[in-house]
Amino acid sequence: MSVPEIGQSLPRTEDERFLTGQGNYIDDINLDGQAHAVVVRSTHAHARINAIDVAQALALDGVLLVVTPDDWKKEGFGPMPTKTAIRKGKNDMDLAEPPRHCLAMDKVRYVGEPVALVVAETAAIAIEAAELVDIDYVSLDVVVDPKKALIDGAPQLWDDIANNLCLDFELGDAAATQAAFDKADHVVTLEVFNNRVTAVPIEPRGAVASYSPETDSYLLYNATQNVHANRDTFAESVLGIEKEKLHHIAPDVGGGFGVKNGAYPEPPLILYASKRLGRAVKWINTRSESFVGDTHGRGQDSTVELALNKDGKFIALRTTTIGAIGAFCWTVGPFTPTGGSARTQGGPYGFEAMYYQAKAVFTNTHPMDPYRGAGRPEGSFQIERVVEKAARELGFDPVELRRLNLIPRDALPLKTPMGLDVDCGDFPEVFERTLKLSDRAGFDARLAASREKRLRRGFAIAPYLECTGGGPKEFAGVTFVENGTVDLAVGSQSTGMGHETAMPQILAANLGLPFDDIRYHQADTDKTPIGGGHGGSRNLEVGGSAVLQAAGEVIEKGKVLAAHIFETTPEKITFEDGAFAEPGTNHSMTMREIIDASFDPLTLPDGMEPGGLNVGSTFERGIISVPNGCHAAEVEVDPETGKINIDGYWVVDDFGTIINPMLADGQVMGGVAQGIGQALMEEAYYEEDTGQLVTGSLIDYALPRADDIPNMVLAFYEDAPTAKNPLGVKGAGEAGCCGAPPAVVNAVLDALKDYGIENISMPLTPEKVWRAIHAKG
Amino acid sequence: MYDFKFHNPDSLAAALESCSQAEDGQFMAGGQTMIPVMKQRLSMPSDVIDLGSVEDLKGISVADGVVSIGAMTTHALVAADGDVQRAIPVLAALAGGIGDPHVRNRGTLGGSIANNDPAADYPAALLALGANVHTDRRQIAADDFFTGMFETALEEGELAIRVDFPVPKAAGYAKFGNPASRYAMVGVFVSQGSDGVRVAVTGAAPCVFRISEMEKALSNNFSPAAIKDMTVPAADLNNDIHASAEYRAHLIGVMAARAVGDAILREGAA
Ligand SMILES: Cc1cc2nc3c(=O)[nH]c(=O)nc-3n(C[C@H](O)[C@H](O)[C@H](O)COP(=O)(O)OP(=O)(O)OC[C@H]3O[C@@H](n4cnc5c(N)ncnc54)[C@H](O)[C@@H]3O)c2cc1C
Repeated sequence: MSVPEIGQSLPRTEDERFLTGQGNYIDDINLDGQAHAVVVRSTHAHARINAIDVAQALALDGVLLVVTPDDWKKEGFGPMPTKTAIRKGKNDMDLAEPPRHCLAMDKVRYVGEPVALVVAETAAIAIEAAELVDIDYVSLDVVVDPKKALIDGAPQLWDDIANNLCLDFELGDAAATQAAFDKADHVVTLEVFNNRVTAVPIEPRGAVASYSPETDSYLLYNATQNVHANRDTFAESVLGIEKEKLHHIAPDVGGGFGVKNGAYPEPPLILYASKRLGRAVKWINTRSESFVGDTHGRGQDSTVELALNKDGKFIALRTTTIGAIGAFCWTVGPFTPTGGSARTQGGPYGFEAMYYQAKAVFTNTHPMDPYRGAGRPEGSFQIERVVEKAARELGFDPVELRRLNLIPRDALPLKTPMGLDVDCGDFPEVFERTLKLSDRAGFDARLAASREKRLRRGFAIAPYLECTGGGPKEFAGVTFVENGTVDLAVGSQSTGMGHETAMPQILAANLGLPFDDIRYHQADTDKTPIGGGHGGSRNLEVGGSAVLQAAGEVIEKGKVLAAHIFETTPEKITFEDGAFAEPGTNHSMTMREIIDASFDPLTLPDGMEPGGLNVGSTFERGIISVPNGCHAAEVEVDPETGKINIDGYWVVDDFGTIINPMLADGQVMGGVAQGIGQALMEEAYYEEDTGQLVTGSLIDYALPRADDIPNMVLAFYEDAPTAKNPLGVKGAGEAGCCGAPPAVVNAVLDALKDYGIENISMPLTPEKVWRAIHAKG
Repeated sequence: MYDFKFHNPDSLAAALESCSQAEDGQFMAGGQTMIPVMKQRLSMPSDVIDLGSVEDLKGISVADGVVSIGAMTTHALVAADGDVQRAIPVLAALAGGIGDPHVRNRGTLGGSIANNDPAADYPAALLALGANVHTDRRQIAADDFFTGMFETALEEGELAIRVDFPVPKAAGYAKFGNPASRYAMVGVFVSQGSDGVRVAVTGAAPCVFRISEMEKALSNNFSPAAIKDMTVPAADLNNDIHASAEYRAHLIGVMAARAVGDAILREGAA
């Protein structure tokens, strides 16, 4: 294969492995002599644990061990801390963080919370024994709605945390915002509900652990998105061992979307069991366990207030959110409704003042953690819904009102009232391109055709503003092997996004090497000294930049070697088109020749060892980047049944430099699909009185299928590479989730405008739409 | 899954024998419902009798105005069968709209009707077409077969062998799928046959049922207009997170009219 280029749609090299059953997923990993673990999970949403009787379970043939909360107390294992960056609220209030142990201590606080772990010779015996663990619960009152949890007299999850309030957060200038509202000609207010969803990655979570008495150290294979951070939590916070004593590896991971970012209780439980038993232990979740045992996302109730001048100019925005975070602070759970939703408030529109406040609230539900976008899709939905309402209520054309308020290109760079550093882009141009792409001229004909079928048709356009970057540091190591292979190891992590293609593409393109020479490594704490894993659309920005930086260091070393061979000095050497040369001479060697020479002790300069081109490079990003773009949707609605069909979908994204357009397309499509799922179908629904998760399987949790997702027309605006990182890229991973919900919901409301419907809360199920049309409350 | 004994008989007699000797034996068709239920440990048969090798239970024949389908015939085979497509086109279409390709390649007519899921499609077809279920011991009219939620007239150890569907003059089906499971949230099957018009509703109530008022109206005038504005009381209908009883009642009217339209269209095309 030839040398790839940046901007080339190189096909995904990992796909052959994935699509032919050759992937190496967690359940493919089996260690010699392994035992099998099953978690006993709480069937109650809120209860005191009176007693746990494990006698019957232990008596079953083949049962090796039952780990209970008492073991955890006896061992003195610590809780898993939250790592949210937001720890302070209004009036200097501290984040309230109750201890999150791997097993429920004395009380259970959500259905699915681990109470014990059964380990047996086979998984079948472990399942059998888990059923025999007898837990005596005393039920307590349950609260699942965060608004109700805040009210005096509501059931209390934690004795020392009043009104279930984890954090009362604010950002922005309350006084300036109030002043702007006071002088505004119009104020438009909307209640916006962001439904609780869960990611449903195709591969459920699982792990395999073993312990070596010889070295007193552990090996953990884990279907996680972040081996380094979670290693630190498991080793240092829970087990109380040095992190070097835990070798943490993620094999191929079948989807994550944020749900596999955080520290879960099961891996430390099986690490402990493996040491006690002196045997490897394997645990694999079922799909049903995934619903009650994986983190959820979104779940926010907001009041959004928009202040405008009489000519339609926006002047101020104020958002007040109540965000459920579940029973505990998960790894970064409290961040989402607070800092996560705050930063992109107001989208790509200009404002004089803004104020965001949010209460993060404990409820008897599974804890929340990031889900694709982690707050920015919520922010994007809030602004676009209230803008649509303003247009309707005040008689502006929704397209015109947006056009009027988009931040013009010459206003950049600027800092938004939320403190977001917007360096480059052209929001009006992206908006106009989206309009053009979406064939406004043909709308009337399509509308008439829909009418003919007795269907309503609507259109909406939704520009969005993102901010991406995630963990700020990343490592890239390049190791040359004498047989010609180049090992590239990076601490960021793919869970299916295509890093195995994009990252070698960057290295190969910059070193002038064939793509096939490069072998990619990730998600192994022994292969990179640090690693930020996955999250915040960070891979290209931070990991890709580390690869670029490493390539630059390899080239510098190559110049030293070339200079030695050419008997000149490194400053005189150029590197172009994959070759080192000394201009003005006929001296020239390709990268491959220099690599080969680096293994010949006779050609090396003083101080360079064989293989001396190897580098290990740590890149640290500056300020997070600001991707942006615009979505547009056209929908048909059947007023007789309330059923919605998305008939057209268009997106223009500004992700800065596009490394691999096909991979970027894939990110957009996946994000849009999940956004449509949230808008129309998905909801993790807990029964109010019992806290039981009603949508506990795919029979009831409505995940979109291929035929629910429309064809999409995608384009990129590539004229604004960011200077915030050397690749010029802006994160692409979560943008689809930001644009799709408002585009789809606003298009439906446009289709139904004759009925005077102001709002329908997500998901827009057929019944909700039908009720709205027929004003059935 | 709890432990069980597995049998793989290759004849009808052997299958019945295995079942009669078991303490708590259960026939297995494609296992599409049975295996998930067993895996969730919600059922624990002592013996599982796989019907997969019993050839007598498979196959389709059309003769004398009757489409006869073996209990072990998969949905995929019914959907693709040219004879069914010609005789009762909507029956083939219904089978082709069940679940997804995996389910259609394993799921069977016998398993579907014996299970009598309140949201399954086939029960509506049997009831509206006035089909007869032949078992190892008797013949049961569809009107008597579906007795309640997940309940049928089949007795302990009784095996459904085939279903005979009289060919109607016209028939149509309209299904409003549950967005999550894609089973019928409401499905209405309408047929115009020798003994009049029949309207059967699935998905809306604990068990498939007929609507005599609509049948009467359609007997006089087989057109969507005849049942326009006709309502069904919501009181006895299912109410869950996907659809309230009130919405289901509304959908019955809409789907019934569309099923009539479908029947007329198919008749016109024939
Ligand atoms: C994902 C999914 C989606 C589905 N979607 C739909 C849908 O949209 N519409 C729909 O109608 N159905 C749907 N189904 C149901 C499916 O079509 C099958 O018909 C149903 O699951 C029965 O499966 P089976 O034929 O494999 O029977 P099994 O699961 O093997 O058996 C079901 C029951 O019938 C009994 N049984 C089987 N054969 C006989 C017989 N000959 N005599 C007496 N008793 C018998 C068994 O003992 C058992 O109790 C879906 C199923 C799945 C898994």
